[in-house]
Amino acid sequence: MTAALLTRKLIAPLAFACTLFAASLAVSAPANAANDAAAEAFVTDVSTRAIAIISDKGADTAARQVAFGKLLDETADWPKIAAFALGQYLRLPTPEQKTEYLGLVRDFVVKVYVTRLADYHNEKLVITSSMPKGDKQAIVESQINFTNGREPVKVTWWLIKDASGSYKIFDLNVVGIWLAQEQRSSFTSVISNNKEDFNALLTHLKAQINSAGN
Amino acid sequence: MNLVARSLRQSVKIACLGLAVSLAACATRPDPANPAAVQAYEETNDPIEPVNRYFFELNRFFDIILIKPVATWYDGVVPDAGRQGIRNFLDNFRSTVVIANDSLQGNWDRAGSAASRFGINSTIGVLGLFDPATGMGYPQHREDFGQTLATYGVPEGPYIFLPVLGPSPPRDLTGFAVDSFFDPLTYIYWGGPYTVPVTRFVINGIDVRSRNLGTLDQIERTSVDYYATVRSLYRQSRASEIANGETDHENLPDIDNLNFDTNEPQAVAP
Repeated sequence: MTAALLTRKLIAPLAFACTLFAASLAVSAPANAANDAAAEAFVTDVSTRAIAIISDKGADTAARQVAFGKLLDETADWPKIAAFALGQYLRLPTPEQKTEYLGLVRDFVVKVYVTRLADYHNEKLVITSSMPKGDKQAIVESQINFTNGREPVKVTWWLIKDASGSYKIFDLNVVGIWLAQEQRSSFTSVISNNKEDFNALLTHLKAQINSAGN
Repeated sequence: MNLVARSLRQSVKIACLGLAVSLAACATRPDPANPAAVQAYEETNDPIEPVNRYFFELNRFFDIILIKPVATWYDGVVPDAGRQGIRNFLDNFRSTVVIANDSLQGNWDRAGSAASRFGINSTIGVLGLFDPATGMGYPQHREDFGQTLATYGVPEGPYIFLPVLGPSPPRDLTGFAVDSFFDPLTYIYWGGPYTVPVTRFVINGIDVRSRNLGTLDQIERTSVDYYATVRSLYRQSRASEIANGETDHENLPDIDNLNFDTNEPQAVAP
């Protein structure tokens, strides 16, 4: 075997490996840049405050609901969430019904999730990755690690920018369940099973607000 | 005894009547001129909703009078370690189903992991009563033939809620039936007696129910429509299981043009 042939034999795979390496760099560079620092900071801030509220031993349920409601008023995109939960019935309510509905959705979500989140007191949420979705949205992946050895719970945050450009919560995915989608399926079901009477949904929401979280 | 028999016959008659009435009443079809309503109807994909709701309530009734009390008793009386042992044993027994479906999905890593789990837990784990495999880097995962069909592109089909079995859309019901062929108990007790498989089914049901006592109560208490919530939870958790826990960010609904205040006619996604 001549030296030239040997060199060629060695160089060809080497060159191929270099090309692969360069290609992988080219692919991974934008992936790194895709991290959305603003979205991550937002999620860290919201989750820290939410866990602090739920873990506050000095507060009773009512006080927790007030604090949690305040936090969500600041950080959740209520109109978008409320609109999404109506599905195909978004144009059904009158302006007055819409206003009442928006307030009820807020109270309902606050009460329900103060109850449902009670399990996560004193735990820590760790961000695992983040990426922008289009120009106005971002996805942040995180998990709640438990101190008692329970399996971590995966939480995905779907954020959307408001008019001023800061992030708001649109939806959360907890162990594979999108919460706004869960609500939409039951809201639209109530309306369609009551001959498309929007007041039926308002009545149901009021009843749930009165019974949930007590 | 006679009285019991008579009242039993009576309740069967009532149940049949209820079934007949609900069968006659299928879910109302949407106005074909309204594309948003048609799309929503197809998304819900629950054409026999009244029947499903009937069975849902029937299951709930049996849950309240029988399953929940037994599960509560099981949860309270059997110590944690005992319940965990039973859970581990049942899960270990299901390994063949998991391995078969991992393989059918071409997921060799996961099939290998499930096989290692089976080997470790059946030996070091004392016939599967303990789960040392998780600590050795082989965490538990679930697979069934319904998920395998989904990875082959088979759609879930319309929502069907069956007595005892619960949510069973055609794809997952088929999966349930096919999985029994990956289960050694099927062959051991082929042609009966079915005491052992039935006992396993019952204990598994009680154990699963006892693990969800708090969660299900909470969901029921905080749902505007419990039936619709369970339907959504079932579908979403199946989708998540099929994706092996990965969230798909590309196929999320379009929310950019969602405007709460607008009253323009609704646009339909293409």
